[in-house]
Amino acid sequence: MLRASSSANDLELDLSMVRGEANESAAVQHARALANLVDSSIEDLEALPAARAALVEVTDKETMIDACAVVANFEMMTRIADGTGTRHPPERLDAIGDLSPSLGLDQFTSARI
Amino acid sequence: MSQSPTSIIQSCHHSSELAIRPDLTAAHAHVWEKLAAPGTWWDGAERLAIAEVVRSALDDLDPTPPWVSASSAGHIEHNPALAPHLQDAVYRLTRHAGTLTEDWYLNMRDKTAITHQQWIEVIDIVISVASVLRFAQLAGIDRPEFPTALDGEPSRQEQPSKPASHHWVPVVHLEDMTPELEPFYQGLPVIAPVIRALSSVPAAMDTLSVLSNAQYIPNREMIDLNWSRGTLSRRQMEFVAGRLSAHRECFY
Repeated sequence: MLRASSSANDLELDLSMVRGEANESAAVQHARALANLVDSSIEDLEALPAARAALVEVTDKETMIDACAVVANFEMMTRIADGTGTRHPPERLDAIGDLSPSLGLDQFTSARI
Repeated sequence: MSQSPTSIIQSCHHSSELAIRPDLTAAHAHVWEKLAAPGTWWDGAERLAIAEVVRSALDDLDPTPPWVSASSAGHIEHNPALAPHLQDAVYRLTRHAGTLTEDWYLNMRDKTAITHQQWIEVIDIVISVASVLRFAQLAGIDRPEFPTALDGEPSRQEQPSKPASHHWVPVVHLEDMTPELEPFYQGLPVIAPVIRALSSVPAAMDTLSVLSNAQYIPNREMIDLNWSRGTLSRRQMEFVAGRLSAHRECFY
């Protein structure tokens, strides 16, 4: 979806930022601060207050709250997909065919291809 | 007198200096109202027992590896409302969802003797608790306590679910839509597999719909690649979603 929403706006996107270093880009503003919020919520809870503050600094409190809500949503969606064994239809797999190996997604246990 | 589920959520959201959107507070209050009430296949005490395992798994600072029984290892308190094998399954779904396989699912069902529909309701509870507690943790607000379990029998409402090619669990196909599923199916030409996954339990579809609408993007706006609430852009939302999903090793 990130690739589609970027293409729809003629914005170039380096998709490696989803798993790797999140450099600033025109396609995803404040990517580094957003990535820090997500990463600290998983890897380092003690760093979470600073990550929140840093995101508020470059955006505002309302944006920070909405970012927290998106994280909460995908704590839901990932468990639905993996708890029910949901897999993509073949046409969708074809559409993302080049993406999953380049990001290493096909190495996940959850890659029900 | 104990607080109502809605007032538990409201007091946590309102006690911070953050202006949390009213629709987000209402969505979390909605799932909290259902959390310890009789469901479709589990009663209130059983649902609360499942929720307690989810909370323990989320809080576990030294989680057991996926292949270790969390109940045997002492990471979950014994609860007579829930068999240890089911406690282990809830813990694993909460903590290690990306490691689940179809073999695991079949083996878990053999050990626990639960039905597909009961498992869907387990997922309903896991996603409710994970959403509400993780949001509170991320936003730095007070964490909502669980509501008190309510008496009553589950509704045991069946749906015409059938085996599916894109899931381990049976689903209700679009052509078999029932009145209970109309709010989630009607007007949509196709239903994404991850949305259809919970369709054998409409109450779980309700949880998914209410939370997604408030936490992410309303389902009917998904086709608008520039949809925004005026805070995060669509691309920023997708980036956060993708990064979290990658951390959780979720291929889908």
